[in-house]
Amino acid sequence: MFPLISAILATLLVGTVATFFAGRYARWAALATAAVFLAEVALLFASYTGWPGYSTSLVPGFADTESYAWISLDWLHINYTVGVDGISLALILLTAILQIATVVYSWGETKRPAAYFGLVTLTCLGCFGVFVALDVLLFFLFWEAVLVPMFFIIGYWGGPRRRYAALKFFVYTHVASIVMLVGLLAMVFYSGASSLDFSSVYASARGLSPVVQAFLFLALFFGFGVKFPIVPFHTWLPDAHVEAPTGGSVLLAGLLLKLGGYGLIRWAVEVLPSGLHIDQPILFFIAFLSIAWGSIVSLAQRDLKRLVAFSSINHMGIVLLAIALDSSLGLLAAVLLMFAHGIVSGLLFMVSGSVHHEYGTRDIASLGGITPTSPALSTMVMVGSLASLGLPALIGFPAEFTAFLATYEGLGYWVFLPLGILVVTAAFYLWMMQRVLFGPPKGVPAEAHDVPWYEGTGMAILVVFTVLFGILPGLLVNVITSSPIRGFP
Amino acid sequence: MDLATFAGPFVPEILLLGATLLIFLLDVLKLRRLELMGGIAIASLLLALLFVVADLGFAPVAALATIPASRINAAPTGTPLYAFSSLGLVFQGIFLLAAFLVALASLSRPAHERGAPIFYGLVTLATLGMLLVAIASDLIFLLLAIEVVSIPTYLLVAYTRKDVRALEAAMKFYVVGALSTTLSFFGASLLFGAYGTTNLYAIAAVAGSVGYPTLVLLGYGFLIAGLAFKVTLVPFHAWAVDVYDGAPSDVSAFLAGGTKKIGLFAFFLVFLGPILATHLSGTSELPFGVGPVNLGPILQLTLAVLAVLTMTVGNLLALLQKEMKRMLAYSSISQAGYMMIGVAIGSSPALAGATLQILAHVLMKGGAFLVVAGVGALGVGPLIDDWKGLGVRRPFLGTAFGLMLLSLAGVPLTIGFVSKFVLFSAAVDARGYFVWLAVAGLLNSALSVFYYARVLKVMFFDAPAPAAPLPAGAVVGGSGPPILPAGGLGYGRAAAIAIIAVAIVVLGVYPQPVLGAIQTAAQHFVSLGG
Repeated sequence: MFPLISAILATLLVGTVATFFAGRYARWAALATAAVFLAEVALLFASYTGWPGYSTSLVPGFADTESYAWISLDWLHINYTVGVDGISLALILLTAILQIATVVYSWGETKRPAAYFGLVTLTCLGCFGVFVALDVLLFFLFWEAVLVPMFFIIGYWGGPRRRYAALKFFVYTHVASIVMLVGLLAMVFYSGASSLDFSSVYASARGLSPVVQAFLFLALFFGFGVKFPIVPFHTWLPDAHVEAPTGGSVLLAGLLLKLGGYGLIRWAVEVLPSGLHIDQPILFFIAFLSIAWGSIVSLAQRDLKRLVAFSSINHMGIVLLAIALDSSLGLLAAVLLMFAHGIVSGLLFMVSGSVHHEYGTRDIASLGGITPTSPALSTMVMVGSLASLGLPALIGFPAEFTAFLATYEGLGYWVFLPLGILVVTAAFYLWMMQRVLFGPPKGVPAEAHDVPWYEGTGMAILVVFTVLFGILPGLLVNVITSSPIRGFP
Repeated sequence: MDLATFAGPFVPEILLLGATLLIFLLDVLKLRRLELMGGIAIASLLLALLFVVADLGFAPVAALATIPASRINAAPTGTPLYAFSSLGLVFQGIFLLAAFLVALASLSRPAHERGAPIFYGLVTLATLGMLLVAIASDLIFLLLAIEVVSIPTYLLVAYTRKDVRALEAAMKFYVVGALSTTLSFFGASLLFGAYGTTNLYAIAAVAGSVGYPTLVLLGYGFLIAGLAFKVTLVPFHAWAVDVYDGAPSDVSAFLAGGTKKIGLFAFFLVFLGPILATHLSGTSELPFGVGPVNLGPILQLTLAVLAVLTMTVGNLLALLQKEMKRMLAYSSISQAGYMMIGVAIGSSPALAGATLQILAHVLMKGGAFLVVAGVGALGVGPLIDDWKGLGVRRPFLGTAFGLMLLSLAGVPLTIGFVSKFVLFSAAVDARGYFVWLAVAGLLNSALSVFYYARVLKVMFFDAPAPAAPLPAGAVVGGSGPPILPAGGLGYGRAAAIAIIAVAIVVLGVYPQPVLGAIQTAAQHFVSLGG
């Protein structure tokens, strides 16, 4: 069988190197890489053998698997093992979409474009690697490989407090990934798994006693949770987002936060079911805390970008809630939500970046009536905000609907807590739109105009997918539920 | 036993002894050509390395093996002074590699430098001592072999005879070394009092049933102190920074990359037996009224505390340094802490991880000091800030040094990552409180990223300071020719740095052959020591 996943990794690797050395053609190299990547992802989908009806067994099956021995000692077997299932496929698609949208949106980058586009491609390489890696060490390598380019993107291309933000981002997520690594290694060695492969860890970790599973789950939850980010370890996120350049924010919110959710599902929820069961109350508590805190604090924000950042915390809290429900519907909802949030928050960060470029400020109070000068941009603001608050026919709706359905199924009337918060957030978004988009023009500079073509195209790509999957969520649901775990229908 | 059978296994040692004597003879005959001396030293080191690799049984050269396979890892008969274990052979290989790289790079020392020929004689002599450490199986033999290493290195630090700082460093090194030797021998004498033997196998065999626990603990305490000076464990580390800083950088490379590691192997030899023998149940008369003690856990805890202390203090102090060599010296101290994790755990995976970490450290830290020596010869000052823009102006040096720093920081796809991963995996595998050793090690690795990254930033992102431009042609020694070829580095140094850079990446991507051999050796070692 053709090693498609390795081919994609090679494409991204070659693309990254080529972009770094392409000089003034860097953006073309990055665009070509993103296009080839998207095409290969399409191939991956076309050749996916795991469509519904895929047989299930104790060890979950993966498609397109490749495995080569890497380090083999009698107590330590590390392999290069990669493969995809429905969950990772959905997030890989998200990676490809966001990469091409980010590259197009950042077309006008003038500050060392070769390095910028190279780092963007490298970030996507790392994310793709995380989604396909089925070996503890390989997973950790890609996980760390995401951290470094993002550190440089924030620290070099960011806003005035970029050094502080980059350092905070690095310290928080790096310490978390250390705890995660120790947790993963402990899972391997305490369970006596025969190798660091996912399948052998999966098979042997079930033999651990529930108490050990609970402790391991907590360690992994902390490691993945900081990336989510969960309250109270979320404070790196607003700083990183506000200081990061727009492209960096898009990747940060769209992809990096998803790594936390994916890691939690793949390496903790699937592998340590008893651990999840015991730790469920803690997860619920933190999920509700994140939902509430994210939205309450977002009400107090005047900066458009900080608003989006805090609503990310709120949304990722819902993802955590859905995961913590420990049901197949909840898992479906979590993946759908992550996909939707990836697209929509990417769009919203692009919008706030463009508002900043055109109007010189992101302060909601000092903006008003920008629709006449920037009709296209205003449309995007509208689509993004409405999708974020869950308007039907846009991608946010099926995701949030599934999530609340799953919550009701699992927790009954507790569902009114996130629902009530959602209503408040929705009202706040509407109020924001009313002030910024409509009414008499305010704070509009004389030379303000609509967004440049590349920024518009970048946003349009995301709008297309927002609408497409909003109308046809079944396309995604089919892929996600084909994962042969947890008895998907 | 005829002479050939007796001497056969000692071919590497005999080669080095011959080379040492030849170099000193040539010096007496006033044939003081740097290339000649260097050539003799390098040839003998390479040949010795070849024989050691052959003895380890690597397929292409296995036919050259000089030690009968039956004598390697053989169970001891009687109380021999020396024995051949495959882990010892691995360490011989590591020592020879370190000495070879330093000797190769030192071909690029200025030819008019006084005492340069002696340099090679002392390096081969010290290396001979290191080889003897690796085959020791008796405490006194071991400590004497360490002396054979120490005395030439005291001289090496000050071999230029002109530099006041180097002389001061040599004096300090000598005084501390003498103290360390005294402590070690005193510890050994206490152990002899308790065990009635100085043979390490014999001690390991009876470690579980000796009647004088206090005496034994005191003896091991003194031995830990004495050897900790050699390995630069905190709080016995203070001398190392001044010595590494004051010595010529090539010698620093030899000290940090080579001779320091004998202390670690000595730790392996001395402490593995008692750590593996879990019980020291003194039921007979106890001199100081102490009841039965478990010796193993006490030693493990002591060594674990020393390990964590060493890596943490080393890292924190490295963060504060402004001079390149002092920063590297403190980072060397913290790396010793990682290696001690392996000794504290004492399982074969942990020993394998520590051994790989030692090999990695030879390449990374030895290489880094070799680069520092080369850069110093280019007229760059000692401060980290003096390296501004060097990576851009000297891409070869910059890339190689960058690789070494990334490897020290434990960045993936370098040997430094693999060794730390294996070591910390072994710590988690060992369970109990050793998991916290892994956590401490990982947190320290995260901390260390900052000072390595700062150097990378200075080298690649900062514009060079206009006040201190690099000289147009690299003039060595401050006044006049010779101008060294290969970008001012000299071919020898350039070759050594290139070998190290390639090895760091190759072993980082595909460590299996080396790691597999080390793991097998560590298993044999543990099964012998227990």
